[in-house]
Order: sequence, then structure tokens, then C-alpha cells
Amino acid sequence: MPGFDDDRLLHVDMTNLTTRFEPFPAKWKLLGGRGLSAKILTAECDPTCDPLGPGNVLVMAPGVMSGTTAPTSGRISIGAKSPLTNGIKEANAGGNPGQDLMKLGIRAVIVKGQPADPNRRYGLRVDASGAKVVAADEYKNLMNYASCEKLLASEPKTASAITIGPAGELRLKGASVGCTDSDRERRPARHAARGGLGAVMGSKGLKWVLVDPGKAKTRQPLGGKDFNALTKRYTQAYLEGPQIFKHGTSTVVPVANMLNTFVYKNRTEGQSPDVQTLDGARIVENFPTRGGGMHNCMTGCIVKCSNIVHDKDGKYKTSALEFETITLLGSNCAIKTVDEVAILDRLCDELGLDTIETGAALGVLMDSGGMEWGDSAAAARVLEEITRGGETGCMIGHGVVETGRRRNHARVPHARGQAIPAWDPRPLKATGVTYAAGPMGGDHTAGLIINPGMPMDQFARASQEAQLVNMVCDSSGFCQFISPTLDDIREFYGQLYGITVSREEIANQGWECLADEWAFNEKAGWRDEDNGVARCLVEEGIGPGHAMKFDVPLEIINQSKQRFPVRDELFAIKASG
Amino acid sequence: MPTVLIPAPYRGPTRGLDRVQTTGATIGACLAAVEAQHPGFGALVLDPATGGIHRFVKLILNREVLGREASLLDRPVADSDEIEVLAAIGGG
Repeated sequence: MPGFDDDRLLHVDMTNLTTRFEPFPAKWKLLGGRGLSAKILTAECDPTCDPLGPGNVLVMAPGVMSGTTAPTSGRISIGAKSPLTNGIKEANAGGNPGQDLMKLGIRAVIVKGQPADPNRRYGLRVDASGAKVVAADEYKNLMNYASCEKLLASEPKTASAITIGPAGELRLKGASVGCTDSDRERRPARHAARGGLGAVMGSKGLKWVLVDPGKAKTRQPLGGKDFNALTKRYTQAYLEGPQIFKHGTSTVVPVANMLNTFVYKNRTEGQSPDVQTLDGARIVENFPTRGGGMHNCMTGCIVKCSNIVHDKDGKYKTSALEFETITLLGSNCAIKTVDEVAILDRLCDELGLDTIETGAALGVLMDSGGMEWGDSAAAARVLEEITRGGETGCMIGHGVVETGRRRNHARVPHARGQAIPAWDPRPLKATGVTYAAGPMGGDHTAGLIINPGMPMDQFARASQEAQLVNMVCDSSGFCQFISPTLDDIREFYGQLYGITVSREEIANQGWECLADEWAFNEKAGWRDEDNGVARCLVEEGIGPGHAMKFDVPLEIINQSKQRFPVRDELFAIKASG
Repeated sequence: MPTVLIPAPYRGPTRGLDRVQTTGATIGACLAAVEAQHPGFGALVLDPATGGIHRFVKLILNREVLGREASLLDRPVADSDEIEVLAAIGGG
């Protein structure tokens, strides 16, 4: 097992179908995940490139703590220029590939180029002996579950996979990148969903990445026993605390409804009449009779927020069925029950589609009269037709803006081309500032602030601080649901490397990574005067009397990009997404 | 006077206040006092169907995570006590 000095970058050239390793730069040792992806893309990707052309660069980067015994620290970031936002994008996922790459000492996989024949498919095999690109035409157009079953059938139990489905192969802009979870079945149920990164992977002809760490052990921190003590203390504190996600994010539905952010019928309302039948509590109630249950999606996770959902016949249907999916594929489309949403969630996972973008697009289709509200069977048929290149399905697969354009519909809720998540910017205006000015566009995981009573003069700072904390969290490999603070993360980094990481260093790191992303986007053509959210969210209200609108002035939105002085409160903010 | 700590998601009714001092002798009385001062708060915490706290709410009394027993709201509090309301909210 390599020491940290043996860490490497894996370069993959999909034009020449070759791979090579490069020593990992020591100056980047505190970078991983999103921050590392930002550094690599800043250095190696032309911001004006065609996101689906050979010039784009696809990065797969585990977090700094991934591969260690730190709890819930195995997230992997997928990064590139997004075909949806035309800016820099990062999305991260659980599952085991992040841990497995780090056990091999691989800090990032950097994929460039494009095969000459767009009809060919390839896989990338990574193990202790090295890495190679292999022909994989027999996987062409396979759904994600079938791909993983086929791929992993003859592989050791230690292997995990990163895959795209037919949506990514078709280069649909809402396509996701799937990762296998840590269960025995190794299902492709964890998705780096936002921003169309699956389309980028598809544009490179790369259908799957197989990672087998074999007998490689977890990474041994230089802090030794002190690291173990820290891990034990942190774990104990978490398990003795309220554990608010122990039944999954789907149980957030009723409180989101009360806060007018359980959006209904293409966001024309903030509350749904179907809140009871869409409440994740219905999933939990069915565990004793149907089977399924809660589990961890990655080895070493102590949060266990992922649910395994069975159907009425007790058969596995999908995992995990999350709050965002229930909102966008359910309530937003007036689809009434979790069972119906589970079918659509499974379809999205199979096809490799972002459930948020897909639900938003379906909502626009319904709102424009192209489908009946609540018709989940019709929604399923439209998605299924994607494998046959169906026109309506592919329109949906290209996301909310493309669907709105083709349907000639005015109400298209997006920010920078990406569908707005469940957390609506009208009751949650500080979050709206993140969508409006943040480098990730309409992405709540970039900086979520759920504080409806906050005065407007605090929005910019709250958004900036949330963005900075989430940036560092998404660089660390920690899942946002274990809610680490900057102090937690720098303490773990310190024990990992046997050094002291100051508050100033960790805060500066977060800010520099945000600055990298903003600079990339500026070169890609983003302008501060264009920062904002779709007009429908400014002009149309939700909540009581439809009075809540996103009425934050541009001046305040753009203040979030001017660095505020660092204050003690920053280090107590928990990552939240 | 016992203090009720208000989680960020519930600061709409309190217009941004993160803590409210009350005069209640029990947890239930303190929550009712907050509702009296800031209408709308109670509905976010208490489930009218059961009379108890919502399933997705947890209460912490002086750093002790409380259970969900029926007598929870009758638990006495002292003047220096802090009742923290936690809402299970957030998530993708």
C-alpha cells in the first residue's frame, strides 16, 4: 500500500486510448474532491471549449479523507465543464469508488480527448497493477443495472464501478454518472447527478470505470493513534446526537411543505395536497411488511441515510429515494405516491439521468399541456423511449431549459441553465443567492441556507459562508450529511498528515477554490450582470397569498462574490446540502 | 426564564430571532409561550393530531437529546434551562 508520497494522478487519453500516471503534486495535498477538480480544470481545460467536444476534461476525484477510517468520508467528485450551465461543474456521489481509488493512491482520474468513432464504447480498468482502456462495445446502450451486473459478475468482491447509462451515451444534458454502493449487490444507485456530467463521460466514449483495490488497505494517517482517537470521538459524538437523517432525507417532506418549499405543479405552489402520501414516513412504515430498510451507501458511513425501497410485492425497486427526487419527480409533477416516484427514480438511475433535472423538465411538459398532471405511467413511458432515441424522452433528458424552449413555455424554473432543486429560492432567499451567483448555478449542495426569517442584508454573507463551507466539505470526502464544520475538517486533515492546519488556511483554501471556479466561468462567458434566477421565480410568487417572490436585488446577489472578513462563526457552520 | 433556541428553518415566525425567553414551567408551556409571542411557530413544532411534537422534530434540553415519550411536554424546566428545537431538514 503506497504512502502519501506515492499518491498519483491517472491521466486517460480517450483519443489514443492510453493511460499514464503522474506523481501527485505535493502542493495539492490538502486538496481533493471538488477543490482538486477545480484546480485541475483551471489548469487543463479551456473554459471556452465545447462541453461535449474533445477539449473538455472529465475529472473523477475522491476527497482528501477518502480511503481512511474517518466516518462517512468516501465521497467522490465528478467535475468538468457542464453542457447545461456552460460553466464549471462538480457533482459528487457516495458509493465505494472514491474509497477504492484512494486505497490505490489515485487522487484523481483525468480523462481527455475523444475516440475517433463516436459509436465505439470503452471501459477503464484500474487496479494495483495499473490502468488500461479496454473495448466495451458489448455494453453499448445497456441500462446501468445491467451494465454493473455484467461488469462485476466475474470481478472480485473488492471491485466497484462508475458507469453511465443510455442517457450519457446519447449525450443528453441531464445525464448523470452512477457509482455502485457498498452492498453485496453493488447497485449503481449513487449518482453524481447534477450538471450533465454523464453526457461529458459519454462524449468521451467511456461507458464504465472499474476500480479494484484488491488487498490494498485503508490509508494510514500520519497522526497514528491520535487520528484513531479523533475518529472515535467524532463518531461517538455523532451517534449520541440527534442523528436527524437516520430515516433518510425523504422524511423531510412534511417540514419542507410547511416552509412552502415542497413545490407543486411546476412550482406554481409551495405546498402539495399529496404531502401525506409523498412523505418518506410511508417508506419507513412499509419496511416491516415489504422489506428493504436503511443502509449505508459507502463503507464506513455512520449516517445510514440511504433507504432501500421495495414495491408492494416485496421486491427491490430502488435506492435511495431522496427528498429532492420525491419533490421534483413527485409533487412538482402532481404525482401522488412514493410508489409511483420509486418507479421513476429507478428509471432515472437505469438511464443515468438527474432526477431533479428530469422532474423539472416533466413539470414543464405537463404545465405546457404536453402530458396530464400526475400521469406517472405516461412519464415512465416517455423516459423508457429514451433507449429508442424517442424525441420527447430525449427532450426531457436534455433538461428543463431545452424542454421549455421546445414547448415554447414561459415558466421554466432554472438558474444558469440548471433546474432549480426542491429548495425554492422564494421562501429561502439566501439559498437563492447561491443559485444566482454561485459557480454551480441552481444547485442546493453548493450552499443551502434554510432560514426563512433572515433579513435581506445578511443574505450575501450567509450564502458566501455556506458556499465556502460546502466547498471545503466537498473537497474533503466527508458527506454533507455528517455535517462537518471547517474546524472538524482541518482537525482531520491535521491528523491525516501529522501537521497543524490553521483556521486561516482552511478558510483560504475554500475561498481560493470558489475563486478558481468563478474565474473559469468568467472565461467561459459568464457575466456578473447576468447573475440571477429565471424570471418566473422573480415575477410569480408562492406561499400564502403567493407573496413570496425572489426579489433580491442584483447588488446583494453580487455581494456574495466579494469576500467578507473571516469571522469565528464561519468555523461553526455545519456543511448542509 | 427558560430559553427556547429556534433552529434556522423555524425563524420565519420569529422574524429571525434565534432564541426566545419564556416564562413556562414545563417544556410544553415554554413552547406555547413562544407561539403566543410568535404565531406560527407552534405549528412547526407540535403535531395537532397527536398533541406531541412532530415526528421530524427533536428537542434537546441542556444538551440532553430528549425522547418522544408522551410526558415529554410536561417535563419541568428551570429558569436557566435551554430548550433547543431541532428540525430534521436539509437534504438532497
